Amino acid sequence: MPQLSKYTEDELVALLRLKDEAAFGYLYDNYAGALNGVVSRMVDDQQLSEDILQEAFVKIWNNFEHYDHTKGRLFTWIVNLTRNLTIDVLRSKGFKKQQKISTDENSVSNYHDKFSTSEKFDTIGLQKQLTLLKPDQKQLIDLAYYYGYTQDEISKALNIPLGTVKTRMRSAIIELRKMMHET
Amino acid sequence: MDTREIISSGILEMYAMGITTEAENLQVQEWLRIYPEVAAELSHIEIDMENFAQSNALTPSPDLKSKVLRSVQQVHFAAPEKIGGKVVNMLPFWKKLAAASVLLLLLSAVTNLVFFNKYQTAQKTLTEKEEQLLAIEDSKKGIEADMEVVHNKYSVPVALQGLPAAPDAAAKIFWMKNTGELYVDPSNLPDAPSGKQYQLWAIVDGKPVDAGMILTTKKGNNYRIQKMKSFGKAEAFAITLEKEGGNPTPEGEMYVMGKM
Repeated sequence: MPQLSKYTEDELVALLRLKDEAAFGYLYDNYAGALNGVVSRMVDDQQLSEDILQEAFVKIWNNFEHYDHTKGRLFTWIVNLTRNLTIDVLRSKGFKKQQKISTDENSVSNYHDKFSTSEKFDTIGLQKQLTLLKPDQKQLIDLAYYYGYTQDEISKALNIPLGTVKTRMRSAIIELRKMMHET
Repeated sequence: MDTREIISSGILEMYAMGITTEAENLQVQEWLRIYPEVAAELSHIEIDMENFAQSNALTPSPDLKSKVLRSVQQVHFAAPEKIGGKVVNMLPFWKKLAAASVLLLLLSAVTNLVFFNKYQTAQKTLTEKEEQLLAIEDSKKGIEADMEVVHNKYSVPVALQGLPAAPDAAAKIFWMKNTGELYVDPSNLPDAPSGKQYQLWAIVDGKPVDAGMILTTKKGNNYRIQKMKSFGKAEAFAITLEKEGGNPTPEGEMYVMGKM
């Protein structure tokens, strides 16, 4: 449902590169809700999540020349930019309290499964499926996607070889894909 | 890895989720260039993810759009030379937090000031009211004491009439016939001139006997009924104007007089 009824994705990208404010307004209208859905599921405080969303849009505007359509679709870029920004904000010292995802001194080893009970966590529809994964698989996806840890960090913190991290993540993804196609 | 293996490995999903390593990203981007089927599969995954996100959308506050547009316009106009250059982080959260805390501090200081002023005013009013209340209490006690004298069943009132020196003057004497206590109400005497004082005399066996000095200086707000010297008996009472402190025998003019 990319609702590009007014612009095609290529047109939108071209106009945003030219800092076209109307195109930016259109981008907002089309994606603010979806992005807000992602941020709100990671942040408790509505005001904070809207602040993050605002900052995310400013970043999208300012950094638009870094978007490379050969590397992925526009939404993929903006949702990951927004998700990374949210993780950065949650990790920054001042906002520990607001964190729905407590990163406890940002340490992977302090990982607690906060998502298993929260149905609200359904970022890009993944969470429902995530709860169906094996705990060790789910943990890896959580840490990477919601906490923003790199595979290397996860490997070191959990004392699992990097190759195993990769293998488990991929098998988790394959599981997820199966579930998605079943639902 | 052939394209089928790539597609089934799960790495494209991880790439779309943004959880692949830098090396994997480069690898995937290489495949995207070489293999159209891989690029098509990635697009497919991305569209799926976007649809999931859209179906889980949460509409933000209606005023957020104008805020967002305003903040990019500010960036646009304020720093046009930076477009295409370095990333300008417009809303560092610690700055917003600092601004918010400064604002809170200011607000709190203003509030404190307002409350402090109110407190001071209230304190001043309270003190004034307390003083008023004390004065009223005093006055009430005085009146009660006066009334006690007047209402006492043994009290014998004697009206002292104005004499030629002061025809409009008057005074009242209350003599307690059981105890001999003597009280004077000087309310209707003219103020004594400075350096002078009224003196009460009891006429006993035809002779004036000093009964005490009368206070007409306004110590409180009113002349009070005053207790004088006690007498077992007296035929009459008179008030003369004497030098301050009085005289052993009347020397000054007699203002009022009355018989028992």
